[in-house]
Amino acid sequence: MAMAAIVINANKEPLYHAQGYVFGTLVDINIYGETEARASALANRVLQDFQQLHHQLHAWKNGPANQASQESASELMHVNTAFANSQQPVKLSPLLTKLLSDAQALSLRSEGLFNPAIGHLISTWGFQQDNFGVSKIDPDKIRSLVKANPAMSDITLKNGEVYSKNPWVKLDLGGYAKGYALDQAVQYLRGQQVQHALINIGGNIIAIGQHGNKPWRVGIQHPRKPAAIATLDLNDGWAIGTSGDYQRYFMLDGKRYCHIIDPRTGYPVQHTQAVTVLIPPQPHAGVLSDVASKPIFIETEDKKSHAAALLGIAYYMAISEDAHVLITENMAQEIEWLDEKFKLNAHVKLIKP
Amino acid sequence: MQIQTTQHDHQIAKLAALAIALHMIEALIPSPIPGVKPGIANIVTLYVLYQFGFASAAWVSILRVFASSLLLGQFLSPTFVLSLSGALCSLGALWLAIMLPKRLFTAVSLSVIAAFAHIAGQLLVVRLWLIPHAGVSYLIPLFAIAALIFGVVNGVITNVILQQTQRGNAG
Amino acid sequence: MSNLLNRSGAIYRQLRAGDWLIIIFSLAITLLLFQTLWTNEHASKVQVRLGDTVYGTYSLNQNRDIVIEGGIGTSVISIAQGKVRFSKSPCHNQYCVHQGWLVRAGQAAICLPNQISLELIGENKPYDSLNY
Repeated sequence: MAMAAIVINANKEPLYHAQGYVFGTLVDINIYGETEARASALANRVLQDFQQLHHQLHAWKNGPANQASQESASELMHVNTAFANSQQPVKLSPLLTKLLSDAQALSLRSEGLFNPAIGHLISTWGFQQDNFGVSKIDPDKIRSLVKANPAMSDITLKNGEVYSKNPWVKLDLGGYAKGYALDQAVQYLRGQQVQHALINIGGNIIAIGQHGNKPWRVGIQHPRKPAAIATLDLNDGWAIGTSGDYQRYFMLDGKRYCHIIDPRTGYPVQHTQAVTVLIPPQPHAGVLSDVASKPIFIETEDKKSHAAALLGIAYYMAISEDAHVLITENMAQEIEWLDEKFKLNAHVKLIKP
Repeated sequence: MQIQTTQHDHQIAKLAALAIALHMIEALIPSPIPGVKPGIANIVTLYVLYQFGFASAAWVSILRVFASSLLLGQFLSPTFVLSLSGALCSLGALWLAIMLPKRLFTAVSLSVIAAFAHIAGQLLVVRLWLIPHAGVSYLIPLFAIAALIFGVVNGVITNVILQQTQRGNAG
Repeated sequence: MSNLLNRSGAIYRQLRAGDWLIIIFSLAITLLLFQTLWTNEHASKVQVRLGDTVYGTYSLNQNRDIVIEGGIGTSVISIAQGKVRFSKSPCHNQYCVHQGWLVRAGQAAICLPNQISLELIGENKPYDSLNY
């Protein structure tokens, strides 16, 4: 992967901006207050680390069709193969051991709503490929996969080895790896004494310092328009993540099927357009920004605060299928609506966090 | 049947004809920004307002809008409605503005006020009727700056003409 | 006529206190309108990126199509009257095309399969990065 980078320096601001495609998505790195040479070296290093992580963690063989070489099997894919074939433990790298035990803990805390073990359901719906979607839904297969009930509690991590008592477990860390990568990047950049940076992996953003003398400002995507619905200041150490039904979806018979699947039914969630979580500074802010929006997305409106509480999420906003906004009071204080409709508060319901 | 016309009627008719001519000339000259026009016919309205009072000015203004649109084949078209709503708002503003003390405010003030009222009236129609969701907001600042410049220029011209007239009357 | 021209030199003296008040007030309103309606609004340029590099930066004050060979095929980006959009794409889902016209600074459209992105650049970017 070539990693050329670009400086937007029109007004002589010491802002360096680099972009790359990793994890099958767009990675965007802003570094403020460093020399161009240093910022470029740091951004390239971060992008390379992301690429490395992706090689280790991707769950599906078919990378983007345009990549010159098909991606080789990742460590995670070897683990998945082992799970399917036997209950024999396989050796794990220290990194994957750490990630799986962390993902397992989060899955348990979310009462299984965050479930990275449902790889088979994901491929049944066709969300693993570049051309998302299926032309026909297979209810029998979905029913049997739900019945097989693959869960993170099925796997056992011991002495650097892992095994699954359920052969239907297929791990897909798609909803975790980007968040982990954010935390890694923050750790690396802070270690390099970078004072100000903003890292965006496929929409999940984490902030270091600020944009000169004002905080980093991020826009939140409108789920149905090519524009931001609101903006907010992302202060040092804060992270933000959104799960949206517009990110990966296909239409079938006039209905939208998005990539967020309720593990209890096996079907894509259709009552919610988007859920955004705002994570205060903490050691795994990036991971939480990636993981925590999913359980809230999956639960129906009356249970969304319960889902948020499971992972200790205090700031969140959910946009329902009929475009009504449910937002915690503390988050409402942070954001500034850009969409006129929401400015008037007519379609916004404030809730206690 | 014979309608009795006065000297005053004749004068108003002549001035209305002048306003119509100026309006038509402007309508035929293309403008670099759609909707931005100098509005020189307003000089006539202002002149009539000062010389003959509000009722006559209203007549001249409304007559101009109707006659010009008929002559240009735009009667009842969107252009006509825009023109009419601009003229009505303008007249409303002038009705109030003429009450300002003459010692402090000349035709320049009235002209600027009328020009702003004119664009306000037009934008109201655009917003409410023609294109409710259009991105016209982008053009509003341009309309405003044009209203200011042409308002001042037309007002200054009106002042000069009024002074000439007074001088002519005196001499 | 010459009389009239001579008098026009005296425009300054012609204006009275109230006139100045009205002019200054109108000017303030006009400036306020520029400030509120012309900031963050319409972008002036679009930056097109292919993969990790800037493919080009184009003014929006033109009507043209930009044809780009991406990783999986040919994408067409159309610029018309201050707006820009993906008008053709070789990707399966056509998300980029469905995004439609972009007008405001900071708005962006991405075609992940073909690795092409558009971002509108204006005087004032309303945000540094987009959470999506």
